[in-house]
Amino acid sequence: MSALVLYQLIALFLLVTGLYGFLWRRSLVAMLICLELMINGAGLSIMAAAQLTPANAVLGQLGTLLVMGLAAAEATLVLAIVVVVTRRFKTSEMIAASELKG
Amino acid sequence: MEIMARVVFGFYAALIVAGALMAVVERGLVRSLVGLIATMFGVAGMYMLMAAPIVAFMQILIYVGGVSILIFFSIMLTKARPTGDEAKERPLRKKANSLLAALVVGIVLASVLIKFPIPSLEIPRQVNGPDLGDGLLGPYLLPFELISVVLFVAMAAAVALAWQQWGKSK
Repeated sequence: MSALVLYQLIALFLLVTGLYGFLWRRSLVAMLICLELMINGAGLSIMAAAQLTPANAVLGQLGTLLVMGLAAAEATLVLAIVVVVTRRFKTSEMIAASELKG
Repeated sequence: MEIMARVVFGFYAALIVAGALMAVVERGLVRSLVGLIATMFGVAGMYMLMAAPIVAFMQILIYVGGVSILIFFSIMLTKARPTGDEAKERPLRKKANSLLAALVVGIVLASVLIKFPIPSLEIPRQVNGPDLGDGLLGPYLLPFELISVVLFVAMAAAVALAWQQWGKSK
């Protein structure tokens, strides 16, 4: 197997474990952790595609940096949402916030 | 790849796999956070192996230094109890369903990857720091500015969300 395929398989493993955890875990913070796993896999995949093929390498590295910035913004916002949900429902578990009013 | 590179790659791959499994399987939130941090270090090492040291250090700065601290704060603020809903036993069928849903994606993508391999360069491309800076201030100026707007909006929204709730509780 070439180096590119190996890196992509590692990234794919991160996607699969993150997706499984996202579906299986119940607390919102654990779901955020699994989301970060998936985003890490995406960054790894972009970087491998940029550095190990004749594609534009600068674009790939900057794309990975932008993914990191977006992940930081998303984590900030999710933290605020988790805090609000915890105050309102007195728990940080997803099941409490999954019912509609009415 | 040379022997040394193979050994280092194997080490980082093992770190990533172990960390990701720990993050998903462990029930305690702090333990899964430790697994996530191990994974982030492994990914940073892989960036280093691909001759991208700037992105590797950014990975350590932003993820290990920033995002993991944020997640730790949210663990503390939500006071997650170890005896919560997470610790309850759930039917095995549900676990199998979520495993199946994740594995379908993985198997489809992995079979495509292995069946149609893209030719890979033996040596990673070399990109110097100044080239990255030229890219950020040249052709990719718009995304660079947009990401700062997105960061600002996210932070302002986070403060606004938490603030409103404070006002109501008094």
